Amino acid sequence: MRAYQVFLLVSGLILSAGSITAQTTINPDLSVIPRFLISTDDGSRLAEGVREFSRPDFTFQELELAIQAYLNPYAKGDIVLTVPGPDLETAKLGIEETYATILRGLPGDLNIRIGKYRAEFGKLNLMHPHAWPFLSQPLLAKRFFGEEGLNDLGISVSALLPTGEVYTKLTVDLLRGTSVSQATGLTDSTGGKPFYANSARLSSFFTLSDEADLEVGLSGYTGIHDPYAHQRFWYGNIDYKYKYRASSYTSLTIQGELLLNTRKASQDHQFHQFVDVRGDPEVRSITTSGMYLYADYQFFKIYSVGARVDWAESPYGKEDRARAFSLFFGYYPVEETLGARLEYQNSQSDSPGLSQTVNMIALQILFSLGPHKAHPF
Amino acid sequence: MKRIILIGLISLLAGVSSAAVRVVTSLPDLADFVKQIGGDRVKVDCIARGDQNPHFIEVKPSYMMKLKSADVFLTIGMELELWAQQLVDGSRNSSLDVVDLSRGIDKLEVPTRLDASQGDVHRFGNPHYWLDPRNVRVIVGEIVSALAKVSPSDQKFFEANADAYVHTLEGKIAEWQELMRPFAGSKIVTFHKSWSYFANWLGLDVVDQVEPKPGIPPSPSHTAELINKIRQSKIKAIVVEPFYDTSAPEQLARSTGAKVLSLSTSVGGVQEATSYIALIDFDVKTLAAALR
Repeated sequence: MRAYQVFLLVSGLILSAGSITAQTTINPDLSVIPRFLISTDDGSRLAEGVREFSRPDFTFQELELAIQAYLNPYAKGDIVLTVPGPDLETAKLGIEETYATILRGLPGDLNIRIGKYRAEFGKLNLMHPHAWPFLSQPLLAKRFFGEEGLNDLGISVSALLPTGEVYTKLTVDLLRGTSVSQATGLTDSTGGKPFYANSARLSSFFTLSDEADLEVGLSGYTGIHDPYAHQRFWYGNIDYKYKYRASSYTSLTIQGELLLNTRKASQDHQFHQFVDVRGDPEVRSITTSGMYLYADYQFFKIYSVGARVDWAESPYGKEDRARAFSLFFGYYPVEETLGARLEYQNSQSDSPGLSQTVNMIALQILFSLGPHKAHPF
Repeated sequence: MKRIILIGLISLLAGVSSAAVRVVTSLPDLADFVKQIGGDRVKVDCIARGDQNPHFIEVKPSYMMKLKSADVFLTIGMELELWAQQLVDGSRNSSLDVVDLSRGIDKLEVPTRLDASQGDVHRFGNPHYWLDPRNVRVIVGEIVSALAKVSPSDQKFFEANADAYVHTLEGKIAEWQELMRPFAGSKIVTFHKSWSYFANWLGLDVVDQVEPKPGIPPSPSHTAELINKIRQSKIKAIVVEPFYDTSAPEQLARSTGAKVLSLSTSVGGVQEATSYIALIDFDVKTLAAALR
């Protein structure tokens, strides 16, 4: 019932915004993007020694409601609400992001963001899933940040650095640190002070020619991953995005990230205590990594085709690792108001005592109501 | 000591008066107007190229850098440049004067109904007003005001240049109108609703668009309807901007015998369009040759 109430609320907001044109200048911009999924894989009966594709299942993936407006001449407000799938009956409206950004009026042309938001760590973390050219979340993001990515309460300060005509931005975040537990499974229940986390990204944008651009970024993120043992982790990340736009209808995008994790840990994320050869408790220094790289080729304006390779170890050890190869195809018949994406993925996961390969085929349907903003690079 | 201060003040004033007004424009046509008006007292750059669809410009950080050091950002307005506000925000330039040049324009095709079933309709009307050269007088007036606001001491210089440019343009307008007089009332088909002001100026009748609705890709059923319309009305020209896919217009041309004309909406869109006057000259002469 609650899900229907949410839909009624959303519909009411959209209709009221659309029917009173004269008020649209003061009403916020609203956009609603629901995503649906039809998927099948051959991994559900592997434990029984049977490899067969499951019956394709039609599921509700997520609904995203974005509300955006200027608060005053200096600041903007953004709210992104989501209704996660797959169960529409029990789905609850959640706050994915809610933040204010002070855009002008600060010394040094600083920008300040405060609230709950996707932190500027790497390139993919800033993108909402509906804007990915593929369906599945890259393993790097899934394994090191969890399904929600690095999305936390915090304050962000960014500055443009004086690097001539090259756009160079430095963003520094002070985060509450709650996003860490989503990735590690260790939630602080001690009731003590929050364990703050910090992230930062330095990015530069290079115009290579009229048709080609390159963005390169370096990010860092540190926090406490084990609130009981006060153990800290450090992530370092390199991201890059190259785009060649041959015409208004054709473009090639190549994007990738490489993440390096280092931490001290006394247990893994399954809460298995680390022990040394004598069976005594042991604190391990762990260094693991992950990467993804994809290429997406857009052609005839409405089609895109691409491939992605993924590889990621666990934040807690090299023995637990996964790799995947995906092929994806996108079809957007009328700009971005309606889209379909098809993905085939072959993934292999290896952990002590278990190794399995799964093939997955999924079709995603999405549509978009409301204004369509220009895409940032 | 007094002499040194005086020399310093004179140098400072000389420096101020010779500092170029830094202007960024959304379209190259506007950059051409700024060059004509501002001469060497302005430094002008633009965002979109003439061969790009001005509705869809990717928000690149390099564009934000152009705006970061600008005094004035000139836009067509009427929501043609939906990407402009993101660039302005990203530029972090608090003193940037963003000027909407559409203020004094008599607007065409202001919608009475506004929803996505009408396609990409602009709520303030059709924004392609710069393609009627009679509107350039209004545009140029706005540009002079914007430049003079930044550099009041150059106002007379800007006004004199603007008057000279408008005078030259009016001579060309008379020439173009004379050339097109025999074709008044001629029916044409265009790809997008970019040519409403141009057609209105020259008394042409735009029968339909290749797009079934603004911004919506051509569909087989609409193309079939268009084939009938073009045959019945004996339409000779299908006007397409250089950035649109020509497969549907070419199919129409093969089925009907009409000609596909690649006309540019902006300076630099075709090789011949090296300035605004050259752009309109190319468009008018190409169209006249096809309608003959």
